[in-house]
Amino acid sequence: MAKKDIAIVGYHETKIDVNTGRSPFDFAGEVLDGLLDQTGLEKDAIDGFAVCSAMSGMSTPFWSVVVSDYLGMELNWCQQVDIGGSSPLGAVSRACSAIRDGQCEIVFVLGADSQSTANLSNARGWQPEFQNPVGLMGPPGAFGFISNRYDGVYGLDLTALARIAVAQRGHAVMNPNAFEKFRVPITEDDYLNSRMISDPVRLLDCVMPCDGGNGVIVMSTERAKALGMDKMVHPTGYGERNNHGVNDNNTDILESGHCVAGPKALAQAGMTVDDLDMFQPYDDFIIAVMLQMENIGFCERGQGAAFVKDTDLTHTGNLPLNTSGGQISAGQAGLAGGGTNLVEAVRQLMGEGGERQVAKASNAMVTGIGAIPYLRNWSCSTVMILEAG
Amino acid sequence: MSETEIPPRPAPVPTNFSQPFWDGAKEKKFMLQYCLDTGKYQFFPRPNSIHTGRRNTEWREASGDGTVYSFTVTRRAPPAFRGREPYVIGSIQLAEGPRMMAEIAGAKFEDLKIGAKVRITWEEVNEEYNYPVFELVE
Repeated sequence: MAKKDIAIVGYHETKIDVNTGRSPFDFAGEVLDGLLDQTGLEKDAIDGFAVCSAMSGMSTPFWSVVVSDYLGMELNWCQQVDIGGSSPLGAVSRACSAIRDGQCEIVFVLGADSQSTANLSNARGWQPEFQNPVGLMGPPGAFGFISNRYDGVYGLDLTALARIAVAQRGHAVMNPNAFEKFRVPITEDDYLNSRMISDPVRLLDCVMPCDGGNGVIVMSTERAKALGMDKMVHPTGYGERNNHGVNDNNTDILESGHCVAGPKALAQAGMTVDDLDMFQPYDDFIIAVMLQMENIGFCERGQGAAFVKDTDLTHTGNLPLNTSGGQISAGQAGLAGGGTNLVEAVRQLMGEGGERQVAKASNAMVTGIGAIPYLRNWSCSTVMILEAG
Repeated sequence: MSETEIPPRPAPVPTNFSQPFWDGAKEKKFMLQYCLDTGKYQFFPRPNSIHTGRRNTEWREASGDGTVYSFTVTRRAPPAFRGREPYVIGSIQLAEGPRMMAEIAGAKFEDLKIGAKVRITWEEVNEEYNYPVFELVE
């Protein structure tokens, strides 16, 4: 039986936008204010803080301390989570452990990043001498390798990828927090005809680097009930896999750590993929969504396109996908981007999805993808199951 | 305005434990790290064997032969490479086992496919550094 002893009792996110000129501290402040508003908590009730690392904040080695200082928070537990886009889920899971261990009682999980305003990071932490002089166009190049390998092994069905892109964009149109320029529908032809960046990765495969912030409040279910909280969401399953295949010269670039993290999270929650009401996967590139479907076990490896075409991915369909538009259609708020997928799941499970509300919203699968390694699949894979309280 | 000259490839910045690779490259020798406990090679250079976690490694000269594991055509390049587009970058599976990222120079896109044979060659970046690139083998 899945544990429901921990509760997420609040969520908040800012509007996602580009070149805002705002610091990540300002986004952090907006998120905190929104969370206090929504939960009715006083700031000083928060005694734990987990913040995702930020590309715009990399000049300080004391990130979690500095951000919480800016916010005036006195804390018993304070940490930065640095597993890239997997950090928001990683932060929630670490908060669960800290609460269970008695280190703190109420945790503010924050992502805030102004990547498009100021990117201070050196995101390639591994041997730049074997990367930078080659001339690979960053993440689109890395996903070019993944996509062409997929094409060579299974055949890459671009019309299935277009289906994902169109479904997510349709959801962004209904999301007032999405990057405004993306709040117009696209067609499958728009996707297929978008400009090639690093073959076969197109412009509409890629996320747009943006600024923004998001966060959730985590506490014990017992405490939430004592405080009279009436809406809550329980993390009932979690799996994490980092550096999958790092010591295997023949590692399969199409195999992500989700093949370990997904089944683990589902087993903890006592579920199979057939039990899921919605799928809110990390989406830095369109093909990453399809690869996660395969690696988590929605379908066999190589059958992702058939699965996509057999599934209605819209918010009224049988497997609603990234109902806020995901990061590809809502914008990627730097390393806070994974929080876009997380916050949307919490919002849906609290029944606050507005015109994009999923009718049957008792649970959701959320995922994270973090960091791009040298010639492998991505570095960090996380999967979390959330259940409505 | 005349066509601007394409600047040379940015020079690598070695670490202490990758220096043997660049010393070899200067002589156009392709050096790889080898784990003496497992008999496996590794790339990129690490402070330890990725296979055992131990520091029982040495440098051996490699064949320079490989096959294309995957590839991409760069249409929009990073700033230092503007003007070179389009060019092909491969994930090369070396004959010794590990994979290496490198430009596949002069390749016609239509000739590229997974499994195509390639061989190393060296591009002179400056007096100090040769940089590895690969070319398709007939």
